[in-house]
Amino acid sequence: MSEQQQAFIQMISNRLGRPMPTEKPPHPFKGAPDFWKSYELDLEQRIELFRDNWAKAGGHSHRLSTMAEVKQFIVDHAQSLKARQILQQNQPELLALRLKEQLPTCQVTTWSPGNRDELISQAASADIGIALVDQAVAHTGSIVVTSSGNTGRSVSLLPTVFIAIIPVERLKTRLGETLATFDGRPRKQFPAGIHFISGPSRSADIENDLTIGVHGPGVVFALLIG
Amino acid sequence: MSTSKGVSVTERAKVALNDEFLRNAVKYTTEKLRDGKRQASSEQGNWEEWRERGRQIRLHTISHLDYYLNQFIENAKANGVQVHFAATAAEAASITLGIAQKRQARTVVKSKSMVSEEVHINETLEKEGMESIETDLGEYIIQLAHEMPSHIIIPAIHKNREQIAELLSKEAGETLPPDTTILAGFVRKKLREKFLEADIGMTGCNFAIAESGSIVLFENEGNARMVSTVPKTQITLMGMERIIPSWDDLEVMATLLPRSATGQKLTVYMSGISGPRREADSDGPEEMHIIIVDNGRSLQLGDPDFQELLNCIRCGACLNACPVYRQIGGHSYGGPYSGPIGAVLKPALQKNVAEWDDIANASSLCGACYEACPVKIPLHDMLVYLRNRKVKEGHKAAEENLGMKGYAYIMANPKRLRRVLRLGRVGQKLLLTDNVIKAKIGPLKGWNQYRHTPGLPAQSFREQWHSLDQELQQTRREMDETIKARLEKERTQRGKGGSHS
Repeated sequence: MSEQQQAFIQMISNRLGRPMPTEKPPHPFKGAPDFWKSYELDLEQRIELFRDNWAKAGGHSHRLSTMAEVKQFIVDHAQSLKARQILQQNQPELLALRLKEQLPTCQVTTWSPGNRDELISQAASADIGIALVDQAVAHTGSIVVTSSGNTGRSVSLLPTVFIAIIPVERLKTRLGETLATFDGRPRKQFPAGIHFISGPSRSADIENDLTIGVHGPGVVFALLIG
Repeated sequence: MSTSKGVSVTERAKVALNDEFLRNAVKYTTEKLRDGKRQASSEQGNWEEWRERGRQIRLHTISHLDYYLNQFIENAKANGVQVHFAATAAEAASITLGIAQKRQARTVVKSKSMVSEEVHINETLEKEGMESIETDLGEYIIQLAHEMPSHIIIPAIHKNREQIAELLSKEAGETLPPDTTILAGFVRKKLREKFLEADIGMTGCNFAIAESGSIVLFENEGNARMVSTVPKTQITLMGMERIIPSWDDLEVMATLLPRSATGQKLTVYMSGISGPRREADSDGPEEMHIIIVDNGRSLQLGDPDFQELLNCIRCGACLNACPVYRQIGGHSYGGPYSGPIGAVLKPALQKNVAEWDDIANASSLCGACYEACPVKIPLHDMLVYLRNRKVKEGHKAAEENLGMKGYAYIMANPKRLRRVLRLGRVGQKLLLTDNVIKAKIGPLKGWNQYRHTPGLPAQSFREQWHSLDQELQQTRREMDETIKARLEKERTQRGKGGSHS
């Protein structure tokens, strides 16, 4: 512990009028109230609630059955949006779609470790970013993505359009179910960036007038699979 | 800066009260946010239980702040973060400047942070020749106007579309129409370039999770994600009280904060950042600094009247509920924080009572702020404690002192009171019209500015009492036995003390 840290913490203990506790203080009110922890919806209800929340926030959602349908959806949209650049995470489920072959006129880039400057500039000029999400939350209409060598933060942030693919079994009822997966996770497996996304980028800073797509993607698709 | 030293809240409020656009804009926006909160909290259900849980978590954390802050620091360091400590705003500014100079930074991009408003970070960096840019749309607008935020959530609440178009046109070098989509589109394009060229990204910190050493940011635009994704260096300014113990506790804060602030179920982005990028990651900062700022916060620790002030989660619900804020707007408070929380925070963060202005008087003590607060901070009580401390330290208006002394002199002796009242009845004859006094003179100057003083009645209550008492004696009946017994019982119970229902 640095001297400065020690002095800062000591100052707090002094003001609180006791020495710093050496053991973890008992925390009886940790997390959500008990009644909330038993709140659970079945799969179809979760899907319906997620889609409802996502739409209210200004996002689009579709329920698809297979990854083959996902492929068709992306190809159709890339063509109708006249997308020239697509950026996808380096995830086996996405690579299996073989988008490069499906969209010969499009530049399809896959995220990869250790290629910072080039990837960020690709992301900044990309029309569409595509990611398979880690988790999703029905109650708040959110998806959860995390950073790693194969999954960049920029993919869900810099392109104009973002497509999030959600295998339905990853869709939870409550926010707490997803947060609990980070409590106690070992440091080595802890991602540097954990991002909850609940719709398109928005602002109401000019005369309370809602504007979509201020800095992040203005068009977001959630594709629920299964 | 739209605020200047030495000017009182009353003076600034007078200016605001004459600005009709401002008053309408503030009214419209606060009502909208308040309705949003009402709807979101009732949709969530059991709101009181959530509030109570939020209060408990904040109370627990603050009363063990040494333990949890230390745990946070240890974990953040293990994540690879460089942690710094700033006792004052000036120290925080100089640490930031030191990092920026070491990195030979030319451009700094910032996401919204109230602590950075305390620290005046933009001015510090710009003085050294660095460009420091606010990237939240509202903050960017007020930075161009050289103003302070007038609302904690909607900083440019006081600017209309035409004024914004004018400010942005200057930046664009061409005339932009007052159209929200076009204006926001210009800002997106302009700031996108800045995100990509910036050397340093600066963020605030909504919550800091002790168990994993993570900071959590809530935002809607994506600019906080930008500044923590693209630049190679990240500096986070964090108030020392931002701590919560665990990710589990974040669920409660994430339930309370967006619903109380804007009525959203969750902000569009909620990001947990745990250290600089991992070795394999291709984006995110390579170097991350967290500056833990005190700047008067620790003064509240151990103070029974004010410790709960540190529970604040900066949602702005108290501003939207406050009848005074709605009339005078944010700039009247003369600091980065406005509304009821600003009226308490501004003086509380300053040790020297002599430097307190009349800010604690900018409240009707109605308690709407407490009702609105998601973590139940008794702000209205704190405003009374502040007034009390100010008077105890001898800081009060000379007229008030004189008035109180006079009141004590007259009331101490019944004969004296009778004589004064009789004199008053004679004296007021010159001033009475329709049985009220309208003249703005002497001690009635302030009062009569907005209302009339009723004249003294021909007979005072004391003078009427003799005949009133006789009347009562004649009509008095024995109390119903059952009621009498119940009242007696309650009176003895009351003597034992206990809780209010």
